[in-house]
Amino acid sequence: MAVVTKYELLKYLRGKRLLIIVVLLAIILILDLVVPPTIGSGYDLNPTTFTSGMLNDIGILIVLCATFFGADAIVSEFEQKTGHLLFPNAVKRHVLVLGKFIASTMISVGAVALYYAVTVIAVVVIDGSIAQNTSLSFLYALAYVFGILAIAYLFSAIFRSSVYSIVLTFFTFFLILPIIDATGSSIAHFKPWFTLTFASGIILDIFQQPYPVDATRTVGTTFANMTRTITVATYYPSVAQALAVIFVYFIIGFILAMYITKRREM
Amino acid sequence: MTDAIVTENLSKQFGQFDALKDLNLTIEPGICVGYLGPNGAGKTTTIKILTSLLRPTGGKAFLNGIDVVRNPKEALASVGAVVETPQLYPQLTPAEILSYLGQLRGLDRDVIRERSVAVLNEVKMLDSAHKRMGDFSTGMKQRVAIASALLHDPSILIFDEPTIGLDPRGMIEVRKLIMQLKERDFTIFMSSHLLYEVQEVCDKVAIVDKGTLLVYDTVANLSIAGEALLTAVEPITAQQCAFVQALPNVRSVKRVATSELLITVEGGLSEQSDLLDHIKSLGIRVAFYRPARSAIEDIYLRLVPEEES
Repeated sequence: MAVVTKYELLKYLRGKRLLIIVVLLAIILILDLVVPPTIGSGYDLNPTTFTSGMLNDIGILIVLCATFFGADAIVSEFEQKTGHLLFPNAVKRHVLVLGKFIASTMISVGAVALYYAVTVIAVVVIDGSIAQNTSLSFLYALAYVFGILAIAYLFSAIFRSSVYSIVLTFFTFFLILPIIDATGSSIAHFKPWFTLTFASGIILDIFQQPYPVDATRTVGTTFANMTRTITVATYYPSVAQALAVIFVYFIIGFILAMYITKRREM
Repeated sequence: MTDAIVTENLSKQFGQFDALKDLNLTIEPGICVGYLGPNGAGKTTTIKILTSLLRPTGGKAFLNGIDVVRNPKEALASVGAVVETPQLYPQLTPAEILSYLGQLRGLDRDVIRERSVAVLNEVKMLDSAHKRMGDFSTGMKQRVAIASALLHDPSILIFDEPTIGLDPRGMIEVRKLIMQLKERDFTIFMSSHLLYEVQEVCDKVAIVDKGTLLVYDTVANLSIAGEALLTAVEPITAQQCAFVQALPNVRSVKRVATSELLITVEGGLSEQSDLLDHIKSLGIRVAFYRPARSAIEDIYLRLVPEEES
């Protein structure tokens, strides 16, 4: 398994996707650190709000990592026929999947860790202290990496084309689930606790003191002598429930990905 | 001694389509077997089942006596395979690919290093050992794939269309390489649709069509019957032609030119020698006597209907 991980990492390190992630990360950090003083607004002097502000794009980074390093990890072996070389070896397929998953996780965790490291350094340099719960936020981000990668691997095991698995992974976590989250909260008034993206809210919510709780408020509007009331709900994932949801996504996604890959024919 | 490759009623269905129907094949160790058939005959399906890339819907397949379906890891331990034209990871070099596959197979690092040099040298890729595969030609990739199949010194080599997609020089080189491997103790099972290639390289031939094995015999046995073209010095008369038709072991005679006959002969070398003596005794001065087609070609065309081949 370590052998598979080693060579998968080597492939990532020599590929263009890691470079794209690094460039994207650099752009995000430059925007966060260069734009405020340039436009004269200055930095946030509260370490907690500064940190959560800088980490605002962590979700996008994790989705991109899952898309680049997980969504075609399995399907490419079948589609590009590299599996013809790999699978006839005296090695069990679950070992190959596990080795690949560890490599995808390591490279994604590396990108996330780099984001947090630069953020922490910037906050310490500018505000003089580290925001409370930064380490917890980092751990939750890592949990999200595991959950989202497992689903990316599941898509990769199911589809025959890497284009489908890449597009579906990206749009599921970038568009479809966020739409369900937003619709649930603002229109249908239900708490979308079961989605992975809603659960990932704990990564940034943990910076709020005290930890936020669900709230509903009624707003009255008057128009043409008619008064209408609207109920606005704001939902937050509880940490325990969110971690449980992420864990379930990870377990189900990963086990199914392993099973489908094992059964899949070339 | 355990047979190298055995299939027992091996079958594979894709939906309603029978890709393979009750294939029974036994390949003894140390020989080279050519697996012939038109496109879609079941050649690649057989090879993919043998290399655990497909699961059969019926029957069994054994490599060195080990069931491929039940114990793929153990069965494949002594097998080197090149299935179709595998794409190799473009980010890695041949040396790295061999190291990767060698480690997957549990080989010691020193052994991998030593064997990598040996097999890359064997396939003439040692000079490119540390160049990334991304820029390699199909022929170069095929040679690296063959090197990877040889790395762990397996007893069985399985090649699926090993010369497909190669330029003429590449085809000659790969064929030469397989001939060299044949000189050693490998059992070689190779699919091909190049009949002359199989006749040149293999000891035995299996012809499959519509998933069914049509014939499996030695090249020597299959070479005993065929069409021969006889060219005489002078024009052959109708009477001489009729006499030739009546000779023993002659199935048919067709005049293709005034001094040329296409004779369908039954029998081995001895019968053909006798036939030539008889022809000479008829007063025909023979300038040339040669097979019109290769014997394998002849059998293939007879067994595989025109619309399929």
